[in-house]
Amino acid sequence: MAKVKKKRVGFVIDMTPLVDITFLLLTFFMFTAKFKTQAESEQKFVIKRPASTPVDTATIPDKDLAVIKVAIDSATSDTMYYYEVLNEADRQAVWQKMPNFTPELLSKHQLPVDKDMLNELVLATRVVRPATKFAIDADKKLRFKWIADAMDILRRNRATMFNYVTDKKQ
Amino acid sequence: MAGGGGQLKAERAKRGKASKRKKMKRVGFHIDMTPLVDITFLLLTFFMFATTLAAPQVMEMSIPPEIVKQVEVRESELLQIFIRDDDKLFYAKGSDDPQPIELKELRALAERENLMPNVRNRLITSLKISDDATYDMVIKVLDELNLAEVKITEEIGKELDENGQPKKRERRFTIAPMLEEDIKKLAEL
Repeated sequence: MAKVKKKRVGFVIDMTPLVDITFLLLTFFMFTAKFKTQAESEQKFVIKRPASTPVDTATIPDKDLAVIKVAIDSATSDTMYYYEVLNEADRQAVWQKMPNFTPELLSKHQLPVDKDMLNELVLATRVVRPATKFAIDADKKLRFKWIADAMDILRRNRATMFNYVTDKKQ
Repeated sequence: MAGGGGQLKAERAKRGKASKRKKMKRVGFHIDMTPLVDITFLLLTFFMFATTLAAPQVMEMSIPPEIVKQVEVRESELLQIFIRDDDKLFYAKGSDDPQPIELKELRALAERENLMPNVRNRLITSLKISDDATYDMVIKVLDELNLAEVKITEEIGKELDENGQPKKRERRFTIAPMLEEDIKKLAEL
């Protein structure tokens, strides 16, 4: 052979299409990402929600929402009520209203509460912002008594419209 | 690094020597995109894992406010649905004895009863739930009743009222506590 075989030095792949697609996906995921709320990162349990058929496209409202979670603690396996107020300003106002709250409790975003405490918190939330929507987010294995009691507390505080948080039925 | 720098210097020196010659055209000019791709992929994987795609659904509920005075209800306009402590379902029209019913039959029952000519659009559905029933079952029953509502609303919308407007569905639904006598009756079944 006359010619010497050329060595492939500085061999380059054109990465432009790859970069295009990756950026496209990246921007998509960045815009659709919804991050865990502070309350969710504090919680030590997972709620297995019951499933319901989506009749309308009602998804959970994310403004001025107060959530009563009823869940089984993964460590102690005790059932407890947990209370969250999603609006940060409202949360602080509600927490401030509670008597003898330690600074540690004041900084918490999700409070494990009993029935009496829940009643007071719901009342305080209603005082701070009467338009607050309530949602009950409970584990599907629970006895209905837990939910009936929470509903009773809402009823007593005249929050007769609320939501059950469910998963979409497959 | 030092090696690279050396090379660079050597190249510059070469170029310097050649500067008197015609200026080289920059053909096939490439930027090394590897670090860019690295970072982008890292961010992409992060966002892909951090996002929750399915937002939870909600089921709207409204409960009657605290009962101050007793409301008179005609027996013929009442349909009671019971969920017993072992999640078995029963229904009763008026003050009849409860009859067992399956979850799948519930939708048909609600549709049929609500569209009966004599109680059409006036039937009150009262759901009585035992404290020991599971929350899952309660939601399933509510879901079936909500699904029945689709057909009922449609059927009632077909009729016209005295002003010639389609009739509006007025849903009358309540969750009531189970009474002692209900519990006794259901326990026998």
